[in-house]
Amino acid sequence: MVDQKKLREEAKKIIEREDVKYLIGWEKGTYGFQMTPLFLTSSDDVNRLVFNPLCIHNLVVFPMLEEKLPLGKDKPEDNKKIGIIVKGCDSRAIVQIMQEKGLKKDNLVIIGIPCNGVIDPKKISKRFPQKTKTFDVEEDDNNFIIKTDEKTYKIPKDELVLDKCKTCEFPNPVIYDVLIGKEIKTSAKSDYKEITSFEKKRLEEKWKYWERQFEKCIRCYACRDVCPLCYCKECMVDQLKPQWVRRSVNISENTAWNIMRALHLAGRCVDCGECERVCPVGIPLTKLNKKLEKDVLELFNYKPGINAENKPLLSIFKPDDAEDFIL
Amino acid sequence: MDNLVLPKNRLKHFIDKIKEDYSIFAPVNIDNIILYRQIKNFSEIDLNFLNSKVPPKSILFKQTETMFKFKLGAKAKVESIDSQNSKNIIFGIRPCDAKSFSILDNVFSDEYIDPYFVKKRENTILIGLSCIKPDVNCFCTSMNGSPTSADDVDILLTDIGDKYFVEINSKKGSDLVKTVKGEFSNATVSDKKKKQEVEKKSKDAITRNMKTENIVNKLDEIFDHELWKKTSLKCLGCGICTFECPTCHCFDIQDETTLRDGARVRIWDTCMNPEYTLHASGHNPRPSRENRIRNRIYHKFNYYPKNYNVIACVGCGRCINDCPVNIDIIDVIDQAREVK
Repeated sequence: MVDQKKLREEAKKIIEREDVKYLIGWEKGTYGFQMTPLFLTSSDDVNRLVFNPLCIHNLVVFPMLEEKLPLGKDKPEDNKKIGIIVKGCDSRAIVQIMQEKGLKKDNLVIIGIPCNGVIDPKKISKRFPQKTKTFDVEEDDNNFIIKTDEKTYKIPKDELVLDKCKTCEFPNPVIYDVLIGKEIKTSAKSDYKEITSFEKKRLEEKWKYWERQFEKCIRCYACRDVCPLCYCKECMVDQLKPQWVRRSVNISENTAWNIMRALHLAGRCVDCGECERVCPVGIPLTKLNKKLEKDVLELFNYKPGINAENKPLLSIFKPDDAEDFIL
Repeated sequence: MDNLVLPKNRLKHFIDKIKEDYSIFAPVNIDNIILYRQIKNFSEIDLNFLNSKVPPKSILFKQTETMFKFKLGAKAKVESIDSQNSKNIIFGIRPCDAKSFSILDNVFSDEYIDPYFVKKRENTILIGLSCIKPDVNCFCTSMNGSPTSADDVDILLTDIGDKYFVEINSKKGSDLVKTVKGEFSNATVSDKKKKQEVEKKSKDAITRNMKTENIVNKLDEIFDHELWKKTSLKCLGCGICTFECPTCHCFDIQDETTLRDGARVRIWDTCMNPEYTLHASGHNPRPSRENRIRNRIYHKFNYYPKNYNVIACVGCGRCINDCPVNIDIIDVIDQAREVK
């Protein structure tokens, strides 16, 4: 469990810095198990700041979403830094974007939090349905501790933790200025079990599965908008000349969109799982991402977002690169 | 309003019977996501649902509507589409979503009659299903609605145990019931009492509440307030809130062609997308998310009431349930009301 007092102290120090415009963290949401991103601009906001296992959002999307509108007359250029709080997976997004020169370390002040896994919103709302009141959630080594007004529940982590956290190799932030709490030792490894068994299915079976999923897509593009790595100035799907994907919402265009989204993240996705979390119609997008992650690992022995000095996978070439998949 | 009852075990027969003459759209469970789909068999319907993910506006105001087709080149011609004439029934529509149709009527049959919506609306019968168990963010009772209101449907069914309490609210409704008359019997005093009990229980289960007194005037005063900037900071700019909204009705029109032929289609658009207001010149009058999120709130709680005397929100709670960053419309309106 993260020391909230320490977190708030460090947060306060950062907000009070002249060269920082705001710090992005979390606060309690408006109902049930919701947490919500918090933009702290003054030390008065610090008491709202919370970190607990419900803090699932990858906040790295926000520096990427920052709008740079034309400056008014005599307005000084905005050179201030953004403060941000990250978990292990979130921090990999920063590193991957730095590899791509989309972010500069100089423009960020990073608070890192070693993370033991976050709670799956679907699992917890199934366990405690229809809750309007907000909850306090804490953790010990093996349990999540959920406090309501009347009762305290102690639930084994295995029952509520997000599936991908069970095989997380990077619980510790890979980049930070301040670390809150102790580094976590882990020997967990992605086993790609689900992917391997899915790969074995017949082609028609796989196609049918994905047709059923993509048929539901309403093209709200929340998967793209929540993804820190989807930061193109103009997304290919929005382009009109030429128009790569039609606006019609049907199985053909939906498939084009979903495959395009996944492929554009090959060798870049850090498996934060945000796309799947936000999808309103429940398309299992991490399954696509994981398949590409596995291929990239097997073919090129590459994992994205680990070392900011590394070049991005798709911008390097080695004479002995695998090429037997090229038709 | 006539009151009847339908034994639960006769519902299948009722649906089978009306299915002969109508296309039936009903809630279907696809991997735990409830969506309205045209059904072939009664068994496809999931009646144990809170509400659908995408509102049933998608049946009358389709996400992709082909307006007409055309051929290009020497033999160029326009081919009209005549797909609006099928007779439809939306079965299991919730009272809040039915209310959204009455709200949408204002805009689709105003100065310009929208033939696509209006024709389908005329050809569609709404068989509503009362909410026994409202969802966590339901607040229809704050928006002049009720989980068991028959106001905007043709027929309303309310689960009162082993039968449905049936309220007939229009000629369309009574004509339909006449065709399967044998299935229904008159409601007794005790049936009526049971329906009232369900109504009370369901209303009491709604815990969220939006206060909207004087909101139109209040919003007039705070257009330039920093609240909108503050709210927009965490907005991702995705289209979930607008696409899932039963009253949002904006669309884009595009020609989708091959070398030889094509079609003019209209597709749901969302004011959360920067392209929504992007001019051909490159200028964008709503350049930032602050402008766009404000527009969403103002369209519902200021412009629409000014134009049509009704707030364009039915309190279904979908935008609250699914916002990825917990932008909660009740909270936003509360904050707006509190601005000094």
